[in-house]
Amino acid sequence: MANKTTYWKGEEELVKTPEFQASVKNEFNESLPLDEIFSENNFELNSNRRDFLKFFGFSVTAVALAACNKAPVRKAIPYLVKPEEVTPGIANYYNSTCGACSTGCGVQVKVREGRPIKIDGNEYSYSGGGLCSTGQASILSLYDTARLAGPMKGKSQSDWDVIDAEITKALASSKKVALITESIHSPSSLSVIKDFSAKYNTEHITYDSASYSGIIKANEDGFGKAVVPSYDFSKAKVVVSFAADFLGTWISPVEFSKDFVKTRIPSKEGKMSRHYQFESNLSMTGTNADIRFPMKQSQEALFLSTLYNKVASLKSVAQIPVSKQLNLAGNVLDNAAKDLNDNAGSSLVISGSNDPYIQQLVNSLNMLLGNYGSTIDLVNHSNQFKGQDSTFEKFVSEAKSGMYDTVIFWGANPTYSYHNTKALEEALVGIKTKISFASILDETGESVNYVCPDNHYLESWGDAEPKKGKLQILQPTISPVFNTRQAEVSLLTWAGLGAKPEVDPFAGKQIMAEKHDTSIYYTYVKNYWFQNVAGVNTEEAFNKVLHDGVFAVTNIEESILSYNIQASALAPELSKLVSSENATDLILYQKTAIKDGKNSNNPWLQEVPDPVSKVTWDNYLAIPKAYAEKNKLAQGDMVKVSLGNITVEKLPVHIQPGQANNTVSLAIGYGRLGKAAQKGVFEKIGKNAYPFTQFVNGTRQWVASGVSVEKVDGTYELAMTQTHHTIEGRDLLREATAAEYKEDNSAGNNMKRPHMYTIWETHEYKREGHPGHYWAMAIDLNACTGCGSCVVACSIENNVPVVGREEVRRRREMHWIRIDRYYAFENTAKTEYLPKDNSNFEGDFITKEKGLEAIDKLESKSGGEFAHYENVKVIHQPVMCQHCDQAPCETVCPVLATTHSTEGLNQMTYNRCIGTKYCANNCPFKVRRFNWFRYNDNDKFDFFFNNDLGKMVINPDVTVRTRGVMEKCSMCVQRIQDGKLKAKRERRTLNDGEIKMACQRTCPTNAIVFGDLNDKESEVSKLYRNQRSYHLLEELNVQTSVKYLTKIRNN
Amino acid sequence: MSHDISTIRPRLVASDKSLADVSNDICRPIENKPSTSWKVGFTLAVIFLGLLGVTLAITTLIGVGTWGLNKTVQWGWDITNFVFWVGIGHAGTLISAILLLFRQKWRMSINRSAEAMTIFAVICAAIFPLFHMGRIWVGAYWVLPLPNAFGSLWVNFNSPLLWDVFAITTYFSVSLLFWYLGLIPDIATIRDRATTKGRKFWYNFFSMGWTGSTRTWNRYEIVSLILAGISTPLVLSVHTIVSMDFATSVVPGWHTTIFPPYFVAGAIFSGFGMVLTLLIVARKVMNYEDYITIGHLEAMAKVVMLTGTLVGLAYITEFFIAAYSGVEYEQYAFINRATGPYWWAYWSMMTCNLIAPQVFWFKWARTTPWFIFMLSIVVNVGMWFERFVIIVTSLHREYLPSGWAMYSPTWVEIGIFLGTFGLFFTCFFLFSKFLPVINMSEVKAILKDKE
Repeated sequence: MANKTTYWKGEEELVKTPEFQASVKNEFNESLPLDEIFSENNFELNSNRRDFLKFFGFSVTAVALAACNKAPVRKAIPYLVKPEEVTPGIANYYNSTCGACSTGCGVQVKVREGRPIKIDGNEYSYSGGGLCSTGQASILSLYDTARLAGPMKGKSQSDWDVIDAEITKALASSKKVALITESIHSPSSLSVIKDFSAKYNTEHITYDSASYSGIIKANEDGFGKAVVPSYDFSKAKVVVSFAADFLGTWISPVEFSKDFVKTRIPSKEGKMSRHYQFESNLSMTGTNADIRFPMKQSQEALFLSTLYNKVASLKSVAQIPVSKQLNLAGNVLDNAAKDLNDNAGSSLVISGSNDPYIQQLVNSLNMLLGNYGSTIDLVNHSNQFKGQDSTFEKFVSEAKSGMYDTVIFWGANPTYSYHNTKALEEALVGIKTKISFASILDETGESVNYVCPDNHYLESWGDAEPKKGKLQILQPTISPVFNTRQAEVSLLTWAGLGAKPEVDPFAGKQIMAEKHDTSIYYTYVKNYWFQNVAGVNTEEAFNKVLHDGVFAVTNIEESILSYNIQASALAPELSKLVSSENATDLILYQKTAIKDGKNSNNPWLQEVPDPVSKVTWDNYLAIPKAYAEKNKLAQGDMVKVSLGNITVEKLPVHIQPGQANNTVSLAIGYGRLGKAAQKGVFEKIGKNAYPFTQFVNGTRQWVASGVSVEKVDGTYELAMTQTHHTIEGRDLLREATAAEYKEDNSAGNNMKRPHMYTIWETHEYKREGHPGHYWAMAIDLNACTGCGSCVVACSIENNVPVVGREEVRRRREMHWIRIDRYYAFENTAKTEYLPKDNSNFEGDFITKEKGLEAIDKLESKSGGEFAHYENVKVIHQPVMCQHCDQAPCETVCPVLATTHSTEGLNQMTYNRCIGTKYCANNCPFKVRRFNWFRYNDNDKFDFFFNNDLGKMVINPDVTVRTRGVMEKCSMCVQRIQDGKLKAKRERRTLNDGEIKMACQRTCPTNAIVFGDLNDKESEVSKLYRNQRSYHLLEELNVQTSVKYLTKIRNN
Repeated sequence: MSHDISTIRPRLVASDKSLADVSNDICRPIENKPSTSWKVGFTLAVIFLGLLGVTLAITTLIGVGTWGLNKTVQWGWDITNFVFWVGIGHAGTLISAILLLFRQKWRMSINRSAEAMTIFAVICAAIFPLFHMGRIWVGAYWVLPLPNAFGSLWVNFNSPLLWDVFAITTYFSVSLLFWYLGLIPDIATIRDRATTKGRKFWYNFFSMGWTGSTRTWNRYEIVSLILAGISTPLVLSVHTIVSMDFATSVVPGWHTTIFPPYFVAGAIFSGFGMVLTLLIVARKVMNYEDYITIGHLEAMAKVVMLTGTLVGLAYITEFFIAAYSGVEYEQYAFINRATGPYWWAYWSMMTCNLIAPQVFWFKWARTTPWFIFMLSIVVNVGMWFERFVIIVTSLHREYLPSGWAMYSPTWVEIGIFLGTFGLFFTCFFLFSKFLPVINMSEVKAILKDKE
């Protein structure tokens, strides 16, 4: 029985006085003595000595305790008024144009909370959805502490108003102004230059540090069009390239890679294009060739004319008179001629030479083959490179004679990259006013009077026309980080065309002010489009262009070309180009990441290994084995290289398989000089090779003959990410020839599979009819060119730290994805010396170190030519965490820091990791990376993770790892999660291809495909069923979630 | 104890020692002022201990990156030294437990120091798995099987590293108990002889009220036997489990079923090597030649020869299995050991462990203390190389040649290794100063015994 006895708090409750009833409703039903405490009068009255001591004691203790806690300084400030389009945690994407080099690929910029944090290709642009490593890394240049914080007058900081006034005055009194720029293909920028020229007498000189003058000049002479043509590799069934690294660095590598690979995936009938490469240094393109011939590049004219003659004889037309007809081993030129002739009209011959006569011969050959209009397009030509070496040469001599009083450098840095620095210095001394737009104080910027730092391209407005008719937009994704101003705005301001600056309320307060807002240039660009681009004359239309990033204009120019060069007439000039066979050639080339050196202050680009040599952080003299043997040079020796009176001291030597005998190679883009370098990472990286270029036939030549190499004291260890280069006969890379593939689509992949037993239960997600996802990846070895842009993209996406040269030497680079590169050496000795039963010498190619050493010894004894080193076969294999379904790493972790997800991913829980490193030891693929040090906020690793500005690039979706934990590829789990959530919000199932890995997204050739294996129709499922697909280390039965597709070579 | 006393064999304790002589001889170093040689040795040991402190501080404060490890070889000297020290720790338990069960009386004068060595060696060993962790400040207790709040609730019972934690801690605690139990009667003896107040107090405290009554002796004997019984499987289990760190992996050269017996044999081999090294010096310096006789040394030399041959057999078996398996990775791992860039380590191991101990077939070699001493050093070196060969040469060239790398230690790693010797000898010197290095009560029981 319930207790019905009622208790009262007091009489008031029983009586229910109105006061009581009112007070019940209050939380504190007796009034608090607040008034008493806070009214000063009472305070004085009620406090006595004891109270004072109490208060005193309390306050001291409270302050002391509060001081013990180091409160974190929060640098993030919430929006006072949230912009409509910004939702914290959700990324915005803007289409724009890449400004890392003048190629100008279309890009899509990912912006999080107002910070651009990632750049990827815009799939609607001419370059496709891919992006190269240079473009990927260029986002970091935005957050580079080496950037100038504001305009400089001489060596000191200045103010825009002061500088503008002085420059305007100087310009007004100038009789002639030289505007030296790198190639500009932005129509609006060119219009600005036109406007500027209208005001001041201006000579616009385009200076490209690595120009394509040879091609431009040849086209000018042959077709009357001084342009670089467009090439369409997707239409070429046969490509013959003479030292043109078109997949890595030549003109428009992203576009070319995309198109080229379209022809490289064999059809069921084994149809694919064939690629011949003749070159001295083993370029990335050369590693992908079906047939590569090590050519001494100073003999290129001879090779080309022989090829021309062979094609001509097949076509029964006139040949070029040559002193010598080459007969190459394996009849390579005959085969190439035959293939070209068989595919006339859908073939392509290109040359990386910068010599106009060689390019004319190339043009003649293409003309003979009828490739114009199909694989070569001179109508919708490229605008990416316009620089002609002779114009700058002319400027130097004219400037010397005092023709110019003002010079403006915009993107051009000739003090670093010009070959005759002395002449340039003399020329510049006489010029009164020198202005540079350099955003990082470069070599040229150091000697000028005014530096007016340009915006980073991600802070700029503009447009681009990399190829005729293919318009692109450039739009800012962040307000200028520093007090910089877009170069176009500077020019307009000086020309008196800039909008009058309004009164600046923030002047002198170190706050980015409205005044330097580039919106005046936005108006300019918009107006330009309204006036000049047909179809864009409304706000809506312009906004659509901003949205799409691209806009195509139909070109109505005539397509009939008249060619007025007689190939035979080239003979005398060509014969002059062929130098002695015995002289050693020096080949200057560009590296895939650093290219011409403009972006060398970028730690990502320095740390991504060269696709071929796997060397990071340095350039080096690549020498062939035979040369090393003859001159007693070993890997890591230091040499002095001299050509005429130009000498580079202390250059480390790298023995490069594939390097043609009697040639040595050196990459440009290194050895940045001067005080400017001190602030950035590019200080003391490599040696400058530009002085070796020579001005011949009106162009700068990248090949020089008669170089001498001398050994000097000391050794130098190059930092390499891979130090063993043969595959040791292991079944890691499967390959077949196109002919074999035609017979059997599983060629190279049809070996007997091992029986698999396991003690583990099958995962839920692998069971038939499981409703969840099963993530997997497929990588086509035929599509992967080894360019390494995935490595950079992955680093950016996943906040992978840069560790620097010394740590790479210790084999501690942190890259989550790497590209393994293996050489196979031609078995030149197979019939002559070797015991038949020795397994080290099996097959046509040697893949075992012991076999290689044995042949080396034989060659060394007989003073041979080491032809096996020249003729190497190369294969690239991207390797990241294979997300094994039965992962060896998972069982050995004592604290369950690495576990399996219900969707087939191998996950790393950083917070649980204690760093025993057992998982890494037990990983057969060696993809796990340990945080040996704290890589952020550590002065020993003074890259972008060590300053607040650099940290802006950090992807907020990914943890920055602490010291002592293991990390590895997560299969961009943040992207998977993002995609799943998006689909869930929209109440639909995920579409195949909706989620893309960072590596996949940037890959110009779509070599990497990611998807859900439980979706039987997904792209990845189809590739898993492809007869070319195989698992790496299948016999271990770790059941990887990555499959590779056999490499098919069409040789 | 009644047993037959042979009239032919030499006595276990040489000279005609009386019971009082034993007490006097063995308590002498404890009761006298430390000798100069002790002071010098102790100072040296403490200097090296200081080096350990410095190098461990560097490792903890800056990172494991101060070591020479890399993305391919992520265990190097650390785990080599760990296995090395654990191995050394084996002789103690073997001598005290297994020889006790087999009633081998010759063990009595050496078991005390061998057990002490075990304990100190295990302490040294524990340093490596602790400090090789990237985050020792959490790792030191996250590996314990306690429910946790990090999302996993429990530790991973599949991981051999966890088994290690169990194996080593069990081994350490049982060894410590066993050692301490054996010490109690002797501590009581020192207590009874003590002349100073301090000594009286402390030895009284640690003798735990030992009275020497028949009942206490009876219980003492029973507990000894029980602990010996518990320890016996530990002799086998500890190194078996340590070997599983390697055997359960997929690394070619590690993934080998022969590892447990092979590691146990190796551990006994190295343990006896270390016991010999220490005792030959100790008997000389402390004038214990009458207690630790040539007969003892000879017996241990025989064990060294036997176990050395056993590990040699294991080395050769590994090669055979690799060849027989037909697995190319396995085959390459072993060919690489013998002929690859670390060939010198492999051949040092073979020479020291398999070939060198064979000289003990000759009586002269077994009975010449200086020669045994030299050989015991060789054995120690060889066994260190064995672990180095297994760990480093297997890891440095694994499945994918792209990842192949070389490993060499930095001064920090070398410093830690030398430092653990400092720790070991500091402990040992303190032990020899404050505790009887020979079990007095047991030796007294066998004074008249012969082998």
